[in-house]
Amino acid sequence: MFEFLFKYPRQDYARSELVFTADWPAWLPWSLLALAVAAIAWMLLRRRQHANAAQLVTVGMLQLAMIALVLVVMLQPALRTEQLKPGENVVALVADTSASMAYGPGPTRLDVARNNLLAAVAGSDVTPLYFSLAAGADAAADLATLQPVGEATAIGNALVDIIGGARSQSLAAVILASDGVDTTGGVSADQLAEIAAFGIPVHTIGVGRERIPEDIELVQVVAPDKALPNSTVTARLAIRHDSAGEARVRVYDGDELLATELVRLPENVSMTTAPISMNLRDPGYHRLQFSIEGPGEEPELRNNEHSALVKVEEQQFRILYFEGEPRWEYKFLRRALDPEGDIRLATLLRVSPNKFYRQGLDSAEQLESGFPSTRDELFAYDALIIGSVEAASLSAAQQQLIADFVSERGGSLLMLAGPSGLGNGGWGQSGISDLLPTRLPPSTVDSFERIKAPVALTPQGADAAMLRLAGGEENSDAWARLPEVANYQATGNLKPAAMSLLSVKTGTGSQPLLVTQPYGRGHVYVLATGGTWRWQMSMPVEDLSHETFWRQLLRALVGTAPRGISLSVDADHGDAAVRLRAEFRNEAFLPLDNIGVSAVVSHEDGSAYTVDMLPDPADAGVFTADAALDKSGSWYFEAIAERDGEAVHVARASVYSESEQAEHFNLRRNSALLQRIAAATGGSYFEAGDLGNIADLLRYSSAGITEQILRPVWNAPAIFLLLLLMKLAEWLLRRRWRTI
Amino acid sequence: MPKPVHLAIALFAAAVLACGGSALGQSDPSAEVGEAAGEFEFVRLAYSGNRYAQSARGQAWRTDWPDAEHHFLRGVNRLTSVDAADEGRIMIPLDGDIFDYPWLYAVEVGYWHLNDQEAAHLREYLLRGGFLMVDDFHGSFEWAMFKASMDRVFPDRPIVDIAEGDEAFHVLYDLDHRIQIPSRMFIYSGQTWERDGVTPHWRGIYDDHGRLMVAINHNMDIGDAWEHADWPDYPENMTALAYRFGINYLIYAMTH
Repeated sequence: MFEFLFKYPRQDYARSELVFTADWPAWLPWSLLALAVAAIAWMLLRRRQHANAAQLVTVGMLQLAMIALVLVVMLQPALRTEQLKPGENVVALVADTSASMAYGPGPTRLDVARNNLLAAVAGSDVTPLYFSLAAGADAAADLATLQPVGEATAIGNALVDIIGGARSQSLAAVILASDGVDTTGGVSADQLAEIAAFGIPVHTIGVGRERIPEDIELVQVVAPDKALPNSTVTARLAIRHDSAGEARVRVYDGDELLATELVRLPENVSMTTAPISMNLRDPGYHRLQFSIEGPGEEPELRNNEHSALVKVEEQQFRILYFEGEPRWEYKFLRRALDPEGDIRLATLLRVSPNKFYRQGLDSAEQLESGFPSTRDELFAYDALIIGSVEAASLSAAQQQLIADFVSERGGSLLMLAGPSGLGNGGWGQSGISDLLPTRLPPSTVDSFERIKAPVALTPQGADAAMLRLAGGEENSDAWARLPEVANYQATGNLKPAAMSLLSVKTGTGSQPLLVTQPYGRGHVYVLATGGTWRWQMSMPVEDLSHETFWRQLLRALVGTAPRGISLSVDADHGDAAVRLRAEFRNEAFLPLDNIGVSAVVSHEDGSAYTVDMLPDPADAGVFTADAALDKSGSWYFEAIAERDGEAVHVARASVYSESEQAEHFNLRRNSALLQRIAAATGGSYFEAGDLGNIADLLRYSSAGITEQILRPVWNAPAIFLLLLLMKLAEWLLRRRWRTI
Repeated sequence: MPKPVHLAIALFAAAVLACGGSALGQSDPSAEVGEAAGEFEFVRLAYSGNRYAQSARGQAWRTDWPDAEHHFLRGVNRLTSVDAADEGRIMIPLDGDIFDYPWLYAVEVGYWHLNDQEAAHLREYLLRGGFLMVDDFHGSFEWAMFKASMDRVFPDRPIVDIAEGDEAFHVLYDLDHRIQIPSRMFIYSGQTWERDGVTPHWRGIYDDHGRLMVAINHNMDIGDAWEHADWPDYPENMTALAYRFGINYLIYAMTH
C-alpha cells in the first residue's frame, strides 16, 4: 500500500533525502502562498453574511491547504539517493572455515555458508572478493575450494585483517557467513570498536542450529588449580543441553575413577551446572579427566570431555577467632578442625573480665597483647571469626583494621551469633557495619534466642560447595537429618549484594542463618547461631556432619583470601590464550617495591618461553601478561620477581589447555555475536536461507564508490488523492451549511 | 573419727538442707527439660546406687544438692565470662536430653552403679565431646566401686594422674599447689581425709587427642566446699580453692 501511494518502498524513503527539483527562487513559493492567503481572506469576507466565523475559517483553511499542496507539486519534489556505482565496487565474501563448520546435519555448515554468500551477491553489480576465516583470514580464489579445517576461530582479528587489507579496493561491504563459534572467547568491545571504525558495514549470515537436542556438551569445568593432600576437591561443571534427561558424570585421574554422579538436566534450561567432589590423596600434579555421557546417541563426543590440572601440595592457612565468652560453640568449632590439617585456628577467648585465654598459637608471643592492632599482625591471618563479644571491646582503630583486612587484604570475616554477638554486641553500629551482609538489629533489642530450631538449605545454599555434607541428591537428606541448632539470632534485613545460604525455622517463620556478601577484595559471612554444636553432641560420634560443615566453611573462608605472593591464570578469553596475574605483596599486604616481574611459560613437552609481566596501573603490586597456549596439554607458569637482578620471590600456577579441541565445543550457533557485529558496523544480520533485502542493502551501501540518483515523487498518487479529499470535504461542508 | 553427737547433728543438718533446697532447683530427674536458661547448665548425674549405697547412703547422687551447684553457679557468673544458668538440672544416665548439656557432675561415685546400657550411653556422651567431673569419694573401697562402673564406660582407657602442666590446672587459675579439700566433717574431726583416703588424687581419662574427658577428684570433697560456702565455720580458703577447681574444669570443658 505504501509503495502504491508513495511510488517507492518505505526503506527508500528512509535511506533517501527529500529535495525540490524546480528551479524557483526561494521567495517565489512563499509569495504565492501569501497571495493565496490574501485572496482567500478577501473572498470569504465578502460572504460573511452567509456563514458564521467558524464556518468561514474552516473553508478558508481547506482552500489554503489545497493551494499549498499544489504549490508543493509545482516545486517538483524528488528523492535523492546514494547508491553504489555499478561495476566499481567490491564486496568481501567471508566464509568461516573453522572445524566447527564441518558439522551438519545434511550439508555442512560450510556448504550452507558458501551457497548463501554466493546468493547474496547474485545479480548485483559488485565484484566479490573471497576470504576464509578461522584463526586468521586468508584470501581465496573462490569459495568452492574452501575446507573446514581451522583449529580455532578468531572472528574479531580476522575481520580487522580483511577490512584493513581490502578497503583500498573500494570495499562496499563485508558479508560474513559463520556459526559465530569464536574460540577466543568472543569479540571484545575494543575489537568491535576497531572494526566499526572502518565505516564498512558487515552483514552477517548465521549458519548452523541454535539448538541441538541430540547433543550434550561439557562446556566448562571449574576446578581449583591447587589442593591439599588427602582433601576433597569440588569442581563445578557447566553442561549445555537442549533437551531434558540425565547425564552420567565421571572423573578419572589416569585410570582411577575418582567420582561419578548422575546429573539431572531439567527441561527448558539450556545450561545446567553441577558440583562434583573427589578426594585427591597424593602430592603432585593430577590431570583430572571429566566426562559426561548423555541418554542418547550424539553427533559429537569430543565435547563431552574436559580436563583440569590440579596441583596437590601442602599449604597452611591461618584463622584468628576472637571470642568473648567460653561457650560450647567455641569448644566444638575447635574440635571440628583436624589438628593435623591445613588450617591453624588461633583463638583469643575472654574467660574472665581480666583474662584472655589463647589457644592454637604458633609462638608464646602470639596475641600476647590481645586482639591485633597492626596490619602486619592481623593481615598474617587469612580469615577472622568474631564470636559473642561486644564491638566496644575493640578500639575504633582495630575496627578500621578489620575493615581493611577484608576490603584491602581480601581476608574473610565470619560473625557468629551470641548473647554479646551481632546486634546485641553493637556491631550494627560499629566501624565494620558497612561490611556486614545484613542490617543488624540495634543493641537495645535482645535479638538472641536460646531456642532450638531446625536449619534448612536455601536454593543458593543447595548449590554451594561449602555446604555439601553428602554427594548429589543425598545432600538435602543429610541436611534434613541434622538436629536443631541450640539457638539463633535475628540478622535484620539482607543488603542488596547479600546471599542467604542457610535458613532457620523460628516460631514466627523463617529467617536467614548463614548469609554472605563480597566486600572489597574479601568476603563477609554472618552465621546467626552459636548452637551448631548440637550437630556434634546430638548425633552418633561416627557422624562427621558437624566436622564437615565447619571444615568446609572455614576452608571456604580461607580459600578466597589471596596470598601475598600468588599467580593466577584466567582462561576466560579462550583456551588458546590466557591472562596471567601475579601479585607480590609483603606481610602487611603492601606492594613490594622495586621489583621487575617476568613469567616463564612451559609446556609439558619441555618447550618454554618467557614473557614480561607489566605492572597493573590500577592495582599496585599486581603484574599481568598474556600468554599464548598454542597446543593442548599441561602448561606450567612461574612468575619471578627480581630485584637488582636477583630473584626474590616466585609464584607458580598451572593449567591444562585443550586449545586443539576448542572447535568442537560451543557448537550451537552464536547468533548474538553475529548480530552484535552487524549492529555495531551498520550492517544487518540474516539467517541462512532468508537473505531478505540483502541485495538492496548492498546497492545502497554507504561505503564504497557511490553515485546520486533523483526519483520524482510529485506525481505520487497520495498527493492527488489528498487534493481530491480536501475539495470533497469543502463541498460537503458547504452543502451541509447551505452556503452553496 | 567424728564424735557421734556431731555426726548426728551433721546428718540432721544435711537432711534439712536437702529438703529445704528443693525450692532452689529441679529435684526430679525425670522432669521434662525446658529450653536452656544459659550457655552453661550444671547437670547432676542421678545414677543408680550400688548395693552398698542402698544400705549406707540412700540416694548418694543427691549429696550436697542443691546448695553445691546453687553456690557454685553464682561463683561462675561472678568470676568468669561464662553465661551460666542460675540453677542446676538433674538427669539420669539414660536421659536422651543429656546430650544437650556437655558438662556433667557426679558425686559420691563410690556408691554409683552404671549398667552396660548406662555405661554405653555415657561413653557415647563423652566421646561426642561431653565432660564429666566426679567428686567426693574416698579411700580404696570407694575407688574400687567407682572404677568398676568406669571400666564399663571405658574398658580400654586408663585412668591417669592429671599432669602438673595440664591446661585443666591453668586455663583460668594456675593451680600449682593442690591441697586436699576436706568435707564439712573436717570442722568436727580436724581431719581432712575420710576412710583410708589420706592422699588426694586429681586423675583423669583422656580421649585419643589428649583431651580430658573425665576429671576424677578422689579423696577430696569439692562439692562440700561449694555447698558450705555460706557456712561461717567452713574454711573460706577451701571454698575459694574448690571454686577455682570447679571453674577450671568448667572452662577446660568449654575450650577443649
